[in-house]
Amino acid sequence: MAEPTTPQAMGESTPGADTSPSGSGEGDKPSLIRRLELDPRLLGMLVALAAIWIVFHILSGGTFLTPRNLWNLSVQTAVIGIMATGMVLIIVSRNIDLSVGSMLATLGMAMAILQREWIPQWLGFDHPATWLIALAAGIALGAAIGAFQGAIVAYVGVPAFIVTLGGLLVWRGVAWAMASGRTIAPMDDTFQRLGGGRDGTIGGPATWIIAGVTCAALIGYLISSRRRKVKYGFAARPLWADVAIGVVGSALVLGAAWVINSYPLPQPLAREYAEARGIDYPEGGLDIPQGLANPVLILIVAGIVMTFMATRTRFGRYVFAIGGNPEAAELGGIKTRWTIVKTFMIMGILVAIAAAVTTARLNAATSGLGVTFELYVIAAAVIGGTSLAGGIGTIPGAMLGALVAQSLQSGMVLIGLDAPLQDVVLGIVLVVAVALDSIYRRRVQR
Amino acid sequence: MTKLRYLALLPAAALVLAACGSDDGDEEAPDETTEATEAAGDAGDGLSGEGLTIGVSWNNFNEPRWAKFDEPAIQDKLEELGAEYISTDAGSSAEQQLTDVENLISQGADALIILAQDGQAIIPAVESAADQGIPVVGYDRLIESDQAFYISFDNVEVGRLQAEYIYEEVPEGNYVFIKGNQADANADFLRGGQEEKLLELSGCTGPLTTDNPDAECPIKNVGESYTDNWETSVAQTNMEQFLTQNNNEVDAVISSNDGMALGVIAALDAQGLAGSVPVSGQDGDAANLNKVALGEQTVDVWKNAFELGEAAAEIAVRLANGTALDEIEVTSDLGSSAPASTTTEPFTTPGEIDVWSIILAPTPVTQENLDEPIDAGAVTQEEVCAGVEAGSVPACP
Repeated sequence: MAEPTTPQAMGESTPGADTSPSGSGEGDKPSLIRRLELDPRLLGMLVALAAIWIVFHILSGGTFLTPRNLWNLSVQTAVIGIMATGMVLIIVSRNIDLSVGSMLATLGMAMAILQREWIPQWLGFDHPATWLIALAAGIALGAAIGAFQGAIVAYVGVPAFIVTLGGLLVWRGVAWAMASGRTIAPMDDTFQRLGGGRDGTIGGPATWIIAGVTCAALIGYLISSRRRKVKYGFAARPLWADVAIGVVGSALVLGAAWVINSYPLPQPLAREYAEARGIDYPEGGLDIPQGLANPVLILIVAGIVMTFMATRTRFGRYVFAIGGNPEAAELGGIKTRWTIVKTFMIMGILVAIAAAVTTARLNAATSGLGVTFELYVIAAAVIGGTSLAGGIGTIPGAMLGALVAQSLQSGMVLIGLDAPLQDVVLGIVLVVAVALDSIYRRRVQR
Repeated sequence: MTKLRYLALLPAAALVLAACGSDDGDEEAPDETTEATEAAGDAGDGLSGEGLTIGVSWNNFNEPRWAKFDEPAIQDKLEELGAEYISTDAGSSAEQQLTDVENLISQGADALIILAQDGQAIIPAVESAADQGIPVVGYDRLIESDQAFYISFDNVEVGRLQAEYIYEEVPEGNYVFIKGNQADANADFLRGGQEEKLLELSGCTGPLTTDNPDAECPIKNVGESYTDNWETSVAQTNMEQFLTQNNNEVDAVISSNDGMALGVIAALDAQGLAGSVPVSGQDGDAANLNKVALGEQTVDVWKNAFELGEAAAEIAVRLANGTALDEIEVTSDLGSSAPASTTTEPFTTPGEIDVWSIILAPTPVTQENLDEPIDAGAVTQEEVCAGVEAGSVPACP
């Protein structure tokens, strides 16, 4: 791993003073951020995100930072975010995947045709197993397509840019040909829930439980990593810093859960909910929290799994090693080709999941699904600090990148900016983000 | 972006081309003479295509519509009139289409029907055909030349009809306008028609922008946006934002086409509003006609391609018989697509040229006349009635 803020990098800082509760270490070389062992780029992005949110809140006359809009934002981010977690590994290993948008259309179309036209022939419409069969088939197909493209990159030696540019054309054409350009709708009843629409949320109590578990996991992680560092003689973070991170982190998680749960079910749906359960529907309306939307839950799970894979497994270390120096990795005995194929396979699987979420959310599959998504996914990864030179990148960063890009987009719709101008702003932000990142990196290296 | 999208269709186009090349051979030959004599009697004014050859240059057969609706309509009408049908497909290439037109002429075409890939690039071919005395019908897409006859549907009228049917449901309230791709001139034609009709019906002074100076106007524009590439998911996101912004106080949505209407309906459904907020569309897609049957879409403005093809074939035969461009009329029964004027009228193009034209009327499809697209064979009853309670609309007994 070649990230500048790994524990090894921390070794340079003076390990002498263990606990200095006064935060007056400003003048010393190891700055506050450094001592907290936080990724400054991630922090920078959070600050940028906060700034974007506040500006849009003011410009939109107070609609941006409402629970409802933030809830929308979370759902709108999910599809790009899910794919961005996979794109990080691809880019880190010095490849690129331009085919994800078209693949999304092909896989979405395949799952739609399966559940609308094929499965009903044996099971009838809206059978409880339909969604699972369709999703599993889509994931298998996605993995196969990814493996196929990855194999051409790794074993035949065609540059990933070319292979996936070909894929961009091929899969778009295939998506079209599968249904001769028709729109397939509507989706299976259960499948629709993957999209976060009607009945597509986990409800208030479950949201609180997930938030609680997340907080517990965070605190557990802080304690265990502190113990390990002490045990192996590394300089541990000052205790107050660990406590501060635990408190702030938990507050953020619980705050997010609270915001999500303050967006109630729309009244027509609340009435249906009440009628279905035999509850009297009061005049003033019912306040039933929707809770986390399924696409967001999927995004969070994907993010956790992918982060674990990237940082805690041998495969993940290989990917970063290949990205840092392919020759050295090869000589070091890593099966670089197989590793590359695996990154593309994982990407294919994530595209299939994203395709399921999109088609479920739209409640339709069109051959134009996912046009230009490849650019948004790459932009999210890059805004999130993934380096196109390879070897550097984090999955939470890419997810945050997706959130930044989506915040800009939906914010601009909210203030009524026209579509072409939205593209202009997004393009500028992309370049500025990468420019800032490069400048920062050069300064750190010196 | 738009370019890339078409490019993306190329691989599939190659496949389809191979399949299409050989299908228009001698099928019509056997009963040509008998049909022709009958037909000569049929047409009121004794119009006959006996001995004539009509060449059709398609731009891209990969789009299902042309092969499915337009070509059979043209073929049937020509057969009825006793004329021969020959065709080429340019596979989305403007250059190829120039060659195609030359080929059709050398094969002995007496008149041409051209679905132009590019309304500008085709002009040299049209002019060279005219120099050889071969008349040209510009089919569905405008050719910017006064040498070509123009037959199409009225896109501004599509917008008017969308507005009319939505206004009928919601004469007062908050409107959202989901427009098409900004780079496509049709997006503004449609919006223009909607504006015109809404102002006429409501008596507002307009313009119906989000900051309409006419405070008395019963129609409030509470959200309006173009949609990149007419994309369903973009329309959905935009609609979600408009609902958020207005706290769900949206009473009607004028969506310019069907794909976007699906996105709008999905956004409304997530708020439990699908079916209670009127939504418009255009194209007669099977998925949307199903939404009309389900009551989630109010109107789907449909262009009957069969009738367009029939009219074009008749005009081509008339032109081949020597009728001048400005004396063309259509006597075929065009059903609900019948144009306001069955005789030719000048149409002023965006390039400020007057071309002779017949502009057909689009058909608004609501729950009441869903049987029209079904009877025409554009969609099946099964597709339209999927999940619809039997007897709730006339088309789904």
